[in-house]
Amino acid sequence: MAEKNIKNRQNYSHLIWTLAKTDFKMRYHGSVLGYIWAILKPLFLFLILNFVFSQVIGRGAGIPHYSLQLITGLILWNFFAEGTMAGLTSFISKANIVTKIYFPRWIVIIASTLNSLLVFLASLIIMIGFFIFYGVHPSPVEILTAAFYIFGIYILIFSFSLIAAPLYLKFRDLAQIWEVLTQALFFAAPIIYPLSILPEKYHKLVLLNPMGILIHYSKIVLIEHRFPGFDNHLILITLVLSLLAAGLIFFNKKEKRIAENI
Amino acid sequence: MSNAVQVKNLSKSFKIPHEKLETLRGSFVSIFKRKTHETFKALDNISFSIKKGEFFGILGRNGSGKSTLLKILASIYEPDKGSVKINGQISPFLELGVGFNPELSGRDNIHLNAAILGLTPDQIKRKFDQIVAFSELERFLDQKLKNYSSGMQVRLAFSVAIHADKDILLMDEVLAVGDSNFQKKCLDEFNKYRRAGKTVILVTHDTDIVKKYCDQALLLRKGRIKTMGSARQTANEYIFQNMSDEEKRLFEQVESQENQRNQLSPGKSGWLKDIAKIKKIEFLNPKGKSQKAFQTGDDIIIRLHYQTRQPIEKPVFGVSLDAGDGTHIVGPNTQKSSRAPKLIDGSGFVDLVIKENPLNLGLYFVTAGLFNKDNTLTYDFKSKKHSFKIITIDESQDGPIKINFYWKEKQ
Repeated sequence: MAEKNIKNRQNYSHLIWTLAKTDFKMRYHGSVLGYIWAILKPLFLFLILNFVFSQVIGRGAGIPHYSLQLITGLILWNFFAEGTMAGLTSFISKANIVTKIYFPRWIVIIASTLNSLLVFLASLIIMIGFFIFYGVHPSPVEILTAAFYIFGIYILIFSFSLIAAPLYLKFRDLAQIWEVLTQALFFAAPIIYPLSILPEKYHKLVLLNPMGILIHYSKIVLIEHRFPGFDNHLILITLVLSLLAAGLIFFNKKEKRIAENI
Repeated sequence: MSNAVQVKNLSKSFKIPHEKLETLRGSFVSIFKRKTHETFKALDNISFSIKKGEFFGILGRNGSGKSTLLKILASIYEPDKGSVKINGQISPFLELGVGFNPELSGRDNIHLNAAILGLTPDQIKRKFDQIVAFSELERFLDQKLKNYSSGMQVRLAFSVAIHADKDILLMDEVLAVGDSNFQKKCLDEFNKYRRAGKTVILVTHDTDIVKKYCDQALLLRKGRIKTMGSARQTANEYIFQNMSDEEKRLFEQVESQENQRNQLSPGKSGWLKDIAKIKKIEFLNPKGKSQKAFQTGDDIIIRLHYQTRQPIEKPVFGVSLDAGDGTHIVGPNTQKSSRAPKLIDGSGFVDLVIKENPLNLGLYFVTAGLFNKDNTLTYDFKSKKHSFKIITIDESQDGPIKINFYWKEKQ
């Protein structure tokens, strides 16, 4: 029995990988620039925002490495926004598989969100380019710490999808609602501004948003070469893990009826 | 354990809301309204088992619960009540290639489909050439799937499914798409599967395939098991079930045509019926028992009950027999018969006795008429309102009648 389980897990990892690869292939299928779009999209957004905030408003001027901060925040945020949307709609976009064959349903969520991870990894090239251009060189330990935060973002995406994907089958408004919410959260997280420009009393509020913490810490570690301190991580890890637990419990309840509700 | 599948008291129903609530606004509004939904019992207390190595057919009309049953067997749906025990791994094949992507090449689709069916990368590598060879699509392998014909897609999908090499193969109505050559190939492959001790479950409308290849079969009707047993018996039952539905439909058609005719010429209808009419038509066996189905070679008595208001001299009774597809078979009448009634008055009946009927499997319609002695006046005419069925054991002949024949070779 144990042997069978191990064998099954291997099968699943292959399945997940195949599904994610197909998604990634299909995503820019038929477009002239293809995968390059994965990189260009956050870059264009960066150019616009960078222009608005450093030239028009003039905010960027006093902040060290504003452009670097902006691109880092944007790429991390883009990962979150795309990943949650892909996870939310995963069962609908893979309806032709989910209603025809059985395999554990979380595989669909992993495969769909993994695709966003692939796109994110592709856009890391830009971030690396920016870091080299501005001469900021994070140490290996700092890079590893940032990778840990990125893993945290993926767990957030996954936990959100575990809850939202089954709900979306019944309430199709959820996609629209989430789109608006991500817009709002974008401004609530320290992306276009560093946390330091906010009055001290708002810091706690911003850091209630786990995405806010993760982006803030990533920027601190990579750009300012500071470590945010262990105490703060305890809160972060507790927050992320309890979201994951809630997601797993909810999903476990809903899993059996997913095919019927599509 | 010799059972591949064991299903016990399985029930499944679906709630069908009268208005599907797909938006939040909809469900907010509906808080204040009484929620209305119908419960549709797709499967109602079903029990059966399938032995290992069996070729099992599931028959039923649309909406009989076939697909629901298949999806429960494939564990896509969760049963409400009852239990399903599956002994072995299932390779479900509910549609042309699960997850097939039209924008990918045939090659990529094989990899994708095989991964979904649970093959490991090693297995895929090993079996890839076999899969391609079986599908006979070598030349098209690097074309996009959207450029394949539906027959080609089925071939590709089927090849992958059969090479997934699971213990139980679950097949839904897919053979219909392939050409007869490929169908035969698939069915031969099924037989190979079965010889290897594996189980094949096939859902189909094709009674010929069930009769030819299945060992056992199950007929579903409105979520219940109507018949279960030998494939041949079950397939015949299905044919008859469809016939009686067809019969009902034709009957309603004739009825409405007749009503229309009556409405068009209200004065003409019925006035002759006041003089004499055929009250009832019965089909009996030689023992006098009324029945609706006979076997080829049985004696059939068609009894026409009449009623007259006034005496009629040398009335002519006529019967016409037509096959279900409208082919006219025979039309005997009493005009030239020595045993024709001389005079009828009041009520009584005449029998048309068909000795050792030569009819083949199918549904037959009876038209009966009552005329005056020179056939110039029609008292009553009942067109194709009644029918009986013929069951046959030997199904080697087709067409509406059976003849005794043999072949002889010149030495």
